[in-house]
Amino acid sequence: MSMAWYIGRRCLWALLASFIILSVTFGFLAASPNPTASTVAFDAAQEGGDPEEAVETYEQTRGEDRPLMEQYTDFMIDMYTLNWGDSFNYNADVMTVIADSWVYSAAIVIPSTIVAVLIGFGVGLYSANNQYTKTDYAATFGAFFGISVPNFWLAIMLILIFGVVLEWFPTSYDTTVDYWSLEHAYQLVLPFFVLTTAAVASQMRYARAETLEYVNAEWTKTARAKGVSEWRIMFRHIFRPATPVLATILVADFVGIIFASAYVIEVIFGIPGLGLVSYNAIINMDTPLVLATTLVPVIIAILGNLLQDILYTVLDPRITYEGRN
Amino acid sequence: MSSNPLLSVTNLETVFHTDEGTVYAVDGVSFDVDQGETVCIVGESGSGKSVTTESITRILQMPPGEIAGGEIIFDGQNVTEMSDDEIRKIRGGRISHVFQNPQSALNPVYTVGAQIREAIQAHQDLSKDAARERAIELLDEVGIPEAASRVDDYPHEFSGGMKQRAIIAMALACEPDLLIADEPTTALDVTIESQILELLMDLQEEFGMSIIFVTHDLGVVAEIADRVIVMYAGKVMERADVYDLYDSPAHPYTRALLNCLPGASGTIEPIGGTLPSVTNPPDGCRFADRCEYAIDDCFVGDQPEFFQATGPDHEVSCIHYHDMYDSSVVLEDTAGEGTATTARETTAGAHSEAGGDRL
Amino acid sequence: MATDTSPDRIEIGQIDWEEYETGRFNFDRKTVGSTLSLLAVGLLWLYDFLFVAERHPVLEQDLILFELSLNPNNVDWLFGLTLVALFWYVVVPLYQNKRMTMYYWSKFKQNTAAIWSLGFLAIIFVMGTVGPLIIGHPEPNWGNPNAPPVFFGGEWAHPFGTHRTGEDILEVTITGAQVSLQVGLIATLFSIILASVVGATAAFSGGWIDEVLMRFVDLLMTFPTFFLIVLLVYIYGGSLFLLIVILAFTGWGGTARLVRSEALQRSEESYIQAAEAAGAGKAYIIRRHILPNVSNTIITAATLIIPVMILTEAVLAFLGFGDPNIWSWGRIISDGRNHLATAWWVATIPGIFLFFTVLSFNFLGDALRDALDPRHET
Repeated sequence: MSMAWYIGRRCLWALLASFIILSVTFGFLAASPNPTASTVAFDAAQEGGDPEEAVETYEQTRGEDRPLMEQYTDFMIDMYTLNWGDSFNYNADVMTVIADSWVYSAAIVIPSTIVAVLIGFGVGLYSANNQYTKTDYAATFGAFFGISVPNFWLAIMLILIFGVVLEWFPTSYDTTVDYWSLEHAYQLVLPFFVLTTAAVASQMRYARAETLEYVNAEWTKTARAKGVSEWRIMFRHIFRPATPVLATILVADFVGIIFASAYVIEVIFGIPGLGLVSYNAIINMDTPLVLATTLVPVIIAILGNLLQDILYTVLDPRITYEGRN
Repeated sequence: MSSNPLLSVTNLETVFHTDEGTVYAVDGVSFDVDQGETVCIVGESGSGKSVTTESITRILQMPPGEIAGGEIIFDGQNVTEMSDDEIRKIRGGRISHVFQNPQSALNPVYTVGAQIREAIQAHQDLSKDAARERAIELLDEVGIPEAASRVDDYPHEFSGGMKQRAIIAMALACEPDLLIADEPTTALDVTIESQILELLMDLQEEFGMSIIFVTHDLGVVAEIADRVIVMYAGKVMERADVYDLYDSPAHPYTRALLNCLPGASGTIEPIGGTLPSVTNPPDGCRFADRCEYAIDDCFVGDQPEFFQATGPDHEVSCIHYHDMYDSSVVLEDTAGEGTATTARETTAGAHSEAGGDRL
Repeated sequence: MATDTSPDRIEIGQIDWEEYETGRFNFDRKTVGSTLSLLAVGLLWLYDFLFVAERHPVLEQDLILFELSLNPNNVDWLFGLTLVALFWYVVVPLYQNKRMTMYYWSKFKQNTAAIWSLGFLAIIFVMGTVGPLIIGHPEPNWGNPNAPPVFFGGEWAHPFGTHRTGEDILEVTITGAQVSLQVGLIATLFSIILASVVGATAAFSGGWIDEVLMRFVDLLMTFPTFFLIVLLVYIYGGSLFLLIVILAFTGWGGTARLVRSEALQRSEESYIQAAEAAGAGKAYIIRRHILPNVSNTIITAATLIIPVMILTEAVLAFLGFGDPNIWSWGRIISDGRNHLATAWWVATIPGIFLFFTVLSFNFLGDALRDALDPRHET
């Protein structure tokens, strides 16, 4: 089976996965007690109207009185054509809202990932190669702290120390500042720091664990016996064989941890990225926006998975395209 | 033994610092290797043979390993005192290694050709193309068919025997003076094994290099060795010319090893007992506890120094060969039965760690 | 060996086969004890559910030092069930296999961080199980808002200070410990039960069952758990019970894969083939041969999942998606966040407890892995 075939198969799976996930999501939404509907009923009752009638009208306008199958097909078509509806609150197309806000998320997520990978992998690799040295112990200890600290609490503590007590950084985000300015970057220091700490810690742990088995591999010993320099050994014989697995973890991490962490951090610091938008949507019961902002990371996750599978086969020549061994 | 050996190991002591204490893996080992000769180091698992060879080029893990004492002189230079950069030049350039497990000795993510090139370019200033050409030449020399196309294959596309050949090619890339082969054929089928052995002998003749061949297989030793070093529990028990060793094995341990071979003296006799403690070695001769000929004096003092057995080139670390004692007790014991020491065989009766000879 | 002094040979007719017969149902002490106690909890819950009104305590008792008023909600019952299960399936086996336990302990002991963690977690455990019985729910106390902790100008009556609505922060911390403990233990227990069953079955059945199950796990793991939970909480509202259920049903994927790969390795071994040759059925082999041998991996995985569960609940509570009726650590930190300048202790102190609890579980898990999983030895 050739590479193209394999990619094709994985793409199909990605499509199938998205289909299943969307259907399940629809199922949840359809089976749920509709929060907006209950609000409508409540309001109607308050104003002396007939709550049941109010709910009926409401459902009619929203098209929720149609048979389930019709709702389902409409839903699925909408999803795939990226017609995700309008946000109640913003009074704008959901896609526009997302497009506006993702830049703010990217401002911390992208630099954070890059730094986390560089430092994380670097320290992890060094640690594995120099096991049992003081640096290794220090790094490992640091990693433990990094992954154990509750992100949101660390953020608050940093705000407390550096914002309130020392007054080095602003305690809340100023949206009027120019996006590409230094002032903007300065505001992002604390959030960036919190996000990166967690990411570095987990990358470091994985890098160390994965490369450790290659530190003592036979081929590493052989390379050393050939007279190859230590640096070359470290990169070609210890790090490189670990890349298939590390690439996999990287992709999974990127979505899982970084998006979830970024969510909380945006909320705490008031950065108007996807996370904060999603949060406000939930508070305001803005269902289309809630759905959209939840699905964005899901789609990225599915695509990430696809990328991960492909990367794995590219990086490890032992894998045939029949599947992972 | 010539007066100017290529490699001279004197009183080598290599230890490992572990949670359970210091392991004395190599505890005072001495031997020489001459130009162009094949020396076999024989012993069971745990005797310290691999650690000895890895100490020569310092490729063992340090920490937890450490070369605690002794001296290794290679071609006039003191290798134990060399700086890291200097020893790196020796590795692969003048002394090469081949290890036991061909399955894992090649990096799976790079082609075989790339890895051979790496060996070449670590010591020689060749362009990538020139190095690749050389790699093809080498693969051809070790008997890999269609070398020109196989040079770009990955290790997993080679069979076990082919892998080992490629590894040998890699080891010979810079025409080393000494090749250290640590049980290179143990993991291979018997038929492949004889092919590899033949290959090694041919290459040795062609390049005039010395070989240190570590093994626990006395059959192989008989085939290829010029001289033999018998090790046990981190120490050398006997050093001899291969003919002397098989004709008149001097050390009781050597005799016992030979008795383990099927076809030798009719019955196979396992060596009773187990290896002595690695962290707390006993007094006296290391083998005394399992020895058929042991007497009280064997259990005191240090490991006996070397005495002559059958001739000046045949040395043995056993007090029976001291003037005070009668060596014929050991040497002339044709029936393989000991003197009053059968009772010393422990009932654990564990087969010696000779690893199940595949003969 | 030939030198063995052999005892008199045992004649076939002399063997008492009755001794070895176990039959379909094992009636040893452990099975009986565990089944009975689990049933007992179940029945007590039923009693509470059917006969005791919602706000009334099941048990009221004046114990001089404090008044005991037990009004367990569904989560509390589930917690009781979990503790009983843990007792019978973790504590008792450890006690029964003393030699093995001592061996693991001696390896475990070498890790100082882990020992400290164990100590700290013991304290948290007591705090979380016994503490709430003593103090009840933290009550607002408008007369004493924002009191600082004891070494910062406050008094011993409120060693950790008070909230702006007067609740004692120590009491809140204790309640938070209970919540975290409940979430951590219950969700993890059910998660690994699910994971083990699925993983072992997939590994052992092979074929299309394996394929389907693993695809399902793939799907589950693709969906970022955090967002799934947020969505579900949005739709169904945030109650602690629901949260625990969701956590249990979303967090088992990774462990299932782990169990499957371990089980796959075991199923190649000869004793499995021997069992099959003797006519044992699949379920039996999974239950009796595979699962016990995979248990080390499972235990290690479990101790590392617990902190993830606790952190997830904390984050959700912090964001306001948790249970509004319960004081958890996440919630109090969230409350304290807007008043950092005036009452820094509200957000800080419970946060320290959260941090160290998660840290301890991580140290513990790591040490357990070193002690139990020899293949991880470096």
